[in-house]
Amino acid sequence: MPGGDFHPWFFVIVAAWVLICGLGVVAFKKIMYSAVSMVLCFLGVAFAYALLDASLVAIIQILVYVGAISIVIIFAIMLTELQEGRYDQFFNRQSIFAAPLAVAAAAVLTVVVASSDISGVTDKALNPGLKVLSDLLFNRYVFPFELVSLVLVAALIGAIVLARKEEERS
Amino acid sequence: MEGTQYMKIAVALLVLLPLAGFIITLLFGKRFFRTKAHLLPVALVTVTAVLSIYAFEWVVRHPDEAFVWNAFSWVAAGRLTGEWGFLVDSLTGIMLLVVGIIGMLVHYYSIGYMKDDPGYYRFFAYLNLFMFAMFVLILANNYLLLFLGWEGVGLCSYLLISFWFRKKSASQAGKKAFLVNRVGDFGFTLGMFLIFVTTGTLQFTGVFDKAEMIGSGTLLWICLLLFTGAVGKSAQFPLHVWLPDAMEGPTPVSALIHAATMVNAGVYMVARSYPLFIHAHTAMLIVMIVGTFTAIYSAYIAITQNDIKRVIAYSTVSSLGFMFLALGAGAWVAGIFYLFAHGFFKGLLFLCSGSVIHAMGGEQDMRQMGGLRQKIPLTFWTMLIGAIALIGVFPLAGFWAKDEILGGAFVGGDYVVWAVGIITAFLTAVFAFRLIFMTFFGECRASEEVRHHIHESAKVMTIPLVLLAIPSALLGILVGWPPETGWIHRFLEPVFFDLEHEKFAWLGVGGGLMVFSLAVALLGVYVAYVMYIRRTELPGRVAARLQVAYEASFNKMYMDQVYEVVPIRSTIAFAGWLWTFFDVKVIDGAVNGLARLWELTGERLRPLQTGRVQNYALSIFAGMVVLVVVLAWFWGS
Amino acid sequence: MNALQWWLTLSILLFCIGAYGVLARRNVIVVVMSLEVMLNAVNIALVAIANFRGGDPGAGTLFALFIITIAAAEVTVGLAIVIANYRNKRTVQTDQFNELKG
Repeated sequence: MPGGDFHPWFFVIVAAWVLICGLGVVAFKKIMYSAVSMVLCFLGVAFAYALLDASLVAIIQILVYVGAISIVIIFAIMLTELQEGRYDQFFNRQSIFAAPLAVAAAAVLTVVVASSDISGVTDKALNPGLKVLSDLLFNRYVFPFELVSLVLVAALIGAIVLARKEEERS
Repeated sequence: MEGTQYMKIAVALLVLLPLAGFIITLLFGKRFFRTKAHLLPVALVTVTAVLSIYAFEWVVRHPDEAFVWNAFSWVAAGRLTGEWGFLVDSLTGIMLLVVGIIGMLVHYYSIGYMKDDPGYYRFFAYLNLFMFAMFVLILANNYLLLFLGWEGVGLCSYLLISFWFRKKSASQAGKKAFLVNRVGDFGFTLGMFLIFVTTGTLQFTGVFDKAEMIGSGTLLWICLLLFTGAVGKSAQFPLHVWLPDAMEGPTPVSALIHAATMVNAGVYMVARSYPLFIHAHTAMLIVMIVGTFTAIYSAYIAITQNDIKRVIAYSTVSSLGFMFLALGAGAWVAGIFYLFAHGFFKGLLFLCSGSVIHAMGGEQDMRQMGGLRQKIPLTFWTMLIGAIALIGVFPLAGFWAKDEILGGAFVGGDYVVWAVGIITAFLTAVFAFRLIFMTFFGECRASEEVRHHIHESAKVMTIPLVLLAIPSALLGILVGWPPETGWIHRFLEPVFFDLEHEKFAWLGVGGGLMVFSLAVALLGVYVAYVMYIRRTELPGRVAARLQVAYEASFNKMYMDQVYEVVPIRSTIAFAGWLWTFFDVKVIDGAVNGLARLWELTGERLRPLQTGRVQNYALSIFAGMVVLVVVLAWFWGS
Repeated sequence: MNALQWWLTLSILLFCIGAYGVLARRNVIVVVMSLEVMLNAVNIALVAIANFRGGDPGAGTLFALFIITIAAAEVTVGLAIVIANYRNKRTVQTDQFNELKG
């Protein structure tokens, strides 16, 4: 059973939380409910990381996803939300096909995973700690690290350029 | 073979000099030579005449050998080899004399006749090209090279018939000649294929050695196909229609090509193929029948024609028919003898008619002529000699040759052929002297101003006339005497081997026939005299009484109409059908249809591009699922 | 089904849920949110595998970190585009964005 040190029930709870919140994201008709669902989902995923001994990732998940991305999304919702009555449908015309497709995909992939003989190595302490990770980050993976910061700058500038109001032409 | 190095040079020059003349005159004639463009070709052709005589001499001196020289390999494709190989034997010798001498005389004549013509240089260039092709034809030692010359003279015929190409009738006549010839050439080619397939070679010696081994059915086909080529080239029925129209070309062309040399190519080719024909009696029979029929058929047409050149043209067709009659009946030597003589007197007749036309300022209709005897006496006398030679009056050339042919037919039992031949001789006499009387006797019917201009031609034209009149008169006696055993018979013996020569019976059948045919000819002259001198209203009355017969003759027996309706119209209709049905519906349909198909496919597939990313994402996702399934399936198993 | 397989199953299910949201929702912001859900699912898988299997211990985790980072950037830019688009077309419905039709 999953988890290692922890009781398997922890996994079940976290798993259920994540999945239900995920469903919430896709299923709610009101966007705000979707957004809140998403935040809770992120929280759940953070717990999952904790269960998987990935403490750094868990913290960063909360900081970035819950703390930043969720805010941005909610900002966007605020900026674009229209009157309730304007929406006539929430699911588009291809949703009838998408549903079975998603189910099928899930089924196929699950079957593949379940029938494979992938398994863990029994030695438990594999997820490296903070010290090791930061060591790797600044030595071996420094290049991608710097690149990512570049990407962030580009994204920042791009977002600003895209989202600002057009200049008035006089 | 001793003395062959000179012969090699002679033969090579015979072929190359006219070719060089053609190229140089064609390239430089317009700018540099202009009115002097005749100088080079005429000089070259004089040299070739000398060389022809030299070659002839060589053959005379070497009676039992033939000069064979494989100069140059041209085609080497597996079993098929074609060389520039030459053969000079007695048959070639005769042909060389005809082509070389008459060719030279015509070139000189053309200096006067074609004077002031804008295409002066072109004319001489083409004449030289013709000489080249003709020499190749008669000097060849294999069918392939002969065919090269054959096609070459056909080409020159076309070029020279439509020499005044701006005139519509001239260019059409040229086309007609070429196309009709082509039909014959097609047969010839098939014959060559058949020869090659059965004997494995196209060389004369190779083929003839194997002649007896060829199965009789195949041999019959070979001979018939070869003869088809001869029918086309030598204007026999039914491929004769091009020759009268060929009179659109300048008169020297008619004289050289359509009387003296090119049309003889068919006769020459059949004569050359003697070892093949000798074993195919049915083929010989067909040759004889075609020749006989053509002879009388065209003589019948000739008696009503009003264009002086047309009369002579039909006469040529008739004479050629006579030659084929001879060959088919087995009188090979007589046929070649006739060819020899005919070259001279027919060429003479044409050149004289050219002189008449020149004097009349271009008029060719005999109804506008008359009484020219005093005005152009030299032309008159030479033409008279030619006419007498033609109709076969003793002792001129035509008499001996024609008589030998007819006599041979009679003696050989072909009475029908003899009878037809006699009638043809009669008709020939009628139209020949009709021509003479209408042109030179009686009142001059030309207009006042034309009459003023009538003058004898320049010396450069009249001297060839005289030079041709001499052999026309004397050749018979010199060469063919005595009948059946004269010089020419012995000369051609190596070529026409195994031929029986009966001793000529002077007092018996032979002599009697001779006298009879002479009487017939003179009767014809008398009839013409009566109709055109004494009682000139007679022709009109006869024509009215025998209207159908007259119309048939005047309209060339409606052959052109037959050709128009049967092959030409159906071909055009077929082409039209091909266009409207096949080209428009099938091909255009296929191409346009294909384009439509793509268009429709595009239209149908268009809705896939909704512009909405979600739709695309769905496709991608679905594809991914399918991929995973497939991969899992294959990796799992 | 051992521990890893359970975690992977969770990842798969979450991924497909997110996929459904991306494919079937009309509001483009909900689509973005579903996209984030999908990314999280992937991250879970990565971290799970990094946890249970040997090999390079840090690679999986760091990869997950980078994904989080880039996801943040992507959301930013994406939403900026949505907002700019909204200004012009006054709509956030995905079926209205069909200028590339045909």
